[in-house]
Amino acid sequence: MTGPAILLLLAGLGAIAWVSARARAMRLQTAARASGRRDAVHSLPGYHGWYVALWTLVPAGIFLAVWANVAPGLVMQDVLSSPAAQSLPADDFSRSAVLGEARAIATGNQAGAFNPLSQGLVEPYKDAIGKYGIAGAALALVLAFAGGAYAFTRVRPDFRARTRVERLVMATLLIASLLAIITTLGIVASLLWESFRFFSMVSPVDFLFGVKWSPQSAALGYGNDDAFGAVPLFWGTIFIGAIIAMVVAIPLGLMSAIYLTQYASPTVRKWMKPTLEMLAGVPTVVYGYFAALTIAPALRDFAVKIGIHGASSESALAAGLVMGVMIIPFVSSMADDSIAAVPQSMRDGSLAMGATTSETIRRVLIPAALPGVVGGVLLAVSRAIGETMIVVMAAGLAANLTLNPFASVTTVTTQIVQLLTGDQEFDSAKTLAAFALGLVLFIVTLLLNIVALRVVKKYREAYE
Amino acid sequence: MTAMIQNQESMTPAVETKMTARDVKVFYGEKQAIKGVSIDVDMDNVTAFIGPSGCGKSTFLRTLNRMNDTVASARVEGTITLDGEDIYAPSMDVVQLRARVGMVFQKPNPFPKSIYENIAYGPRIHGLAHGKADLDVIVEKSLRRAGLWDEVKDRLHDSGTALSGGQQQRLCIGRAIAVEPEVILMDEPCSALDPIATAKIEELIHELRGRYAIVIVTHNMQQAARVSQRTAFFHLGELVEYGVTSDIFTNPKAERTKDYITGRYG
Amino acid sequence: MTATRNPTDWRSDAMRRRIARRYAAERRFKLAGLLAVLLSAAFLAFLLVTMMGNGLRGFTRTEIAVKVDFPASPLLLDPNAITDQALANANLPMVTGEVVKKALGADAEEWVSPTAWTALRDAIKADPKILSRTETVRLPASTAIDLAAKGKGSSEAEAAVDRLNKAGVLSTGFNMGFLTASDGTDPTQVGIWGAFKGSLLTMLVTLALSFPVGVATAVYLEEYARKNWMTDIIEVSINNLAAVPSIIFGLLGLSIFLNVLHLPRSASLVGGMTLALMTMPVIVIAGRNAIKSVPPSIRDAALGIGASPVQVVFHHVLPLALPGILTGTIIGMARALGETAPLLMIGMRAFIATPPGGIVDPATVLPVQIFLWSDEVSKGFVEKTSAAIIVLLIFLLAMNGLAIYLRNKFERRW
Repeated sequence: MTGPAILLLLAGLGAIAWVSARARAMRLQTAARASGRRDAVHSLPGYHGWYVALWTLVPAGIFLAVWANVAPGLVMQDVLSSPAAQSLPADDFSRSAVLGEARAIATGNQAGAFNPLSQGLVEPYKDAIGKYGIAGAALALVLAFAGGAYAFTRVRPDFRARTRVERLVMATLLIASLLAIITTLGIVASLLWESFRFFSMVSPVDFLFGVKWSPQSAALGYGNDDAFGAVPLFWGTIFIGAIIAMVVAIPLGLMSAIYLTQYASPTVRKWMKPTLEMLAGVPTVVYGYFAALTIAPALRDFAVKIGIHGASSESALAAGLVMGVMIIPFVSSMADDSIAAVPQSMRDGSLAMGATTSETIRRVLIPAALPGVVGGVLLAVSRAIGETMIVVMAAGLAANLTLNPFASVTTVTTQIVQLLTGDQEFDSAKTLAAFALGLVLFIVTLLLNIVALRVVKKYREAYE
Repeated sequence: MTAMIQNQESMTPAVETKMTARDVKVFYGEKQAIKGVSIDVDMDNVTAFIGPSGCGKSTFLRTLNRMNDTVASARVEGTITLDGEDIYAPSMDVVQLRARVGMVFQKPNPFPKSIYENIAYGPRIHGLAHGKADLDVIVEKSLRRAGLWDEVKDRLHDSGTALSGGQQQRLCIGRAIAVEPEVILMDEPCSALDPIATAKIEELIHELRGRYAIVIVTHNMQQAARVSQRTAFFHLGELVEYGVTSDIFTNPKAERTKDYITGRYG
Repeated sequence: MTATRNPTDWRSDAMRRRIARRYAAERRFKLAGLLAVLLSAAFLAFLLVTMMGNGLRGFTRTEIAVKVDFPASPLLLDPNAITDQALANANLPMVTGEVVKKALGADAEEWVSPTAWTALRDAIKADPKILSRTETVRLPASTAIDLAAKGKGSSEAEAAVDRLNKAGVLSTGFNMGFLTASDGTDPTQVGIWGAFKGSLLTMLVTLALSFPVGVATAVYLEEYARKNWMTDIIEVSINNLAAVPSIIFGLLGLSIFLNVLHLPRSASLVGGMTLALMTMPVIVIAGRNAIKSVPPSIRDAALGIGASPVQVVFHHVLPLALPGILTGTIIGMARALGETAPLLMIGMRAFIATPPGGIVDPATVLPVQIFLWSDEVSKGFVEKTSAAIIVLLIFLLAMNGLAIYLRNKFERRW
């Protein structure tokens, strides 16, 4: 029996369970009311329906989910013990290729076999799949009937079906919210585990403090530890994300926020604010393409014209500039919030002293809003250093330790992409290094966020 | 416009009139908040504006140093002069005006800076001090006049927001004094303070009288009686009665004033 | 007037100059703010104009009108028996080359696209009667000619275009293939359909996973969760997930979904699961805000007439919070639609020439397709990349517009 058919059958059973349990509850409750025991009726008939339907579906569903994971193993066991399997090649690779082909033919995904060996295995495959398919379906149906019958016998006027159903709803909600923890744990566990394996090959000290990054040579020369020194990557990340991008984003974002909140007319604000926010909605791959196609060549030509040595067509400046523009709305909205949180009385106090608007902004509002603005900038930095596509497309791959913004530098995220794309052997130090870089990135962004949120929260409390 | 009953006869003619308002009307969008107020503020007396809440006394006070300019929908008609100059004339510079007409707000609003920097703020932006020593002198003088010097002289560089409510309000008065204003407007300066702090502020107002023209808005009639020599009673955006404080409280001319003072409404 | 006063002399020249300076500073400051706004907006405009300038050409293709004398061509087809099989056996690519040479000269075969024969096939299919006469057929030009006609070609191709222009056979047509074809190696033949379908499938998976889980989490945290250490951990996790760089989710997808669970590489399923993990915190945060804005009086009213806490939420709170939740969901989905980096990690950068049939088939998505094309050396890909960006931006704009519309339409003030 096929998967969809059994699911359809179960759904039908569930519907029948719902309808019949509801009908029975209705009948019993009418009888109970007729005999004057009104207080003995607890839940609406619909809840009885749901109670029985859930007892029909949930155990069978759980069984099917487990079965779907167990069955392929059982099928494989059967196939391997069949006589045709004796002639399978010994090495793992061709063995699994033959088995895979046989399975594809047996399930109808492939018309004919390239390997004659596979053809012989098709029949055992078909038999085994059929056998376990029927067994699974039968067990599921038995479970559905058993569950439904058990629940059906419990339908009484005073049975608290609603409480039971709601308990399941609550459990589902709780499990859903636990998924956030599981995801976080998944991230931490996978990063830690792969990084641990990496650090068993490469010393953490060399990784964190080494200044030579050349994973290619390490892959060729086996265990040349020097090549995994990540300092040039860290520098490149900071240079682009925390320096160049911020030099663009902080003044533009801050001044935009000031202009739009303190000077602009309501009409201008109404149109310009969403316009600037569009900058945050443009996908990063578009920024990356724009940086690589338009900005970078223009900057290189400019650098060559003014005689700067070592200008590259993949410059730190191009990536940083564009990233800065992307971050503008982020800085701007944080600054906006912080300035708005400064009490109006501060502003009035300063204006009443005869200060001009700009004096009020520069000497009272901004100093008062500074913690909030700083928190916002930290969040912006954390976003900038985690940004991937712009630097992948515009910053280049050369791990240079340079202060020249026209030169090419590389970043943590660029190298993660570089190390993990293509057909690498997964267990090599080269691919594992990507996870170590990911771990560093994760920790740094997390710390930045925690500090930033602390600062912002403390600041908010000061005015509440 | 409004029938204005002035106890002119009881005023001594020798006073120096500092500010005059003639037929002042204030609109917020369509709504008229002040309906033709004319009044003189003089140099030697403390003038109190009293009236039930929402009567327009604070709104009118804010027109005297053009703080209503910061409200986009507000519009002012009529003339207000300072030393004979129209303060709403294009030639009048609002920055100068506000330096000459200082203001103290209902809730103490020290800047989140040190005590010293709070006082120094005005002299700095207006360029009144010549060097650090000069600024130190201004800060000390202003704090002394605000009656705060002895309490804070050892911690001038602590934050102004760390002071008690009454001290904060005196700091704000000191901040206003530091730019040597000619008029000080006080918008219910004691409404957020406890009685002891209130007494200190009232004492301070007595001391400042004569040095500056002082206008105080208060919802507390006893306070008006204690600190002021002239009292103006506002009701529903109109100036109902203006005269010598003792006359207003003992012998009000208008029926509405009498009702208010005897506690019929408010 | 007894106390000594030193009134400031506001009329002195020094003071007037000082005030003038202060006003000048005020104007400069205001101007700086205006410039910041304009500069940011100008950058956006510059970006959009550049993309439009490059990309609009990607939607068009250059066509060459070729006079085909069908009876005289080496085409062996019976006008009364035109079947797909017959057309497939007629060696149309060779025939196309011959008719082009005949019509435009010996070197002209290079000028038409390698897939020009499909245009000939479609013409015959549409009207078999043309086989008995001479007919003008518009054939798509090759990449070199296409670029030269759009003003960016090599000198050699420019010369050819000059000749074709003199003959008056060049024209520009809408490139339908860009919307219906998939990835390829020749820029004149590539299209976004495959990537678009991949995006669609991926988004479906993302929505199906993140929406129920996100809403359930929001409901639990906002309505039922007691304040204890577990709730704290859930909250901290969600806030952190919202701030984790997207590429980290890609690493998670790679090591858990691919290497531990052995789900299919490059598939929309895994892409959707990875993006769902990113989108879920966005939905949770938006959902909580929407639920929070439903006034407590409504809950009290329902509880007061004997509704259970679950009934209160599902009958009253959720329907009222739904517009807010949907707005947040659309914004989260728009972000997921534009996401590239995590999908590169799970192998969605493969060359996919056929649209995926289902969620377990190898697929790519629009942003990744843009990334792949941006890496191509062939000049013809520049306009295709920009054209794909235009399509992506239109979708994002539509989604954000929908979110704003929903917010305005259903925004309730309590």
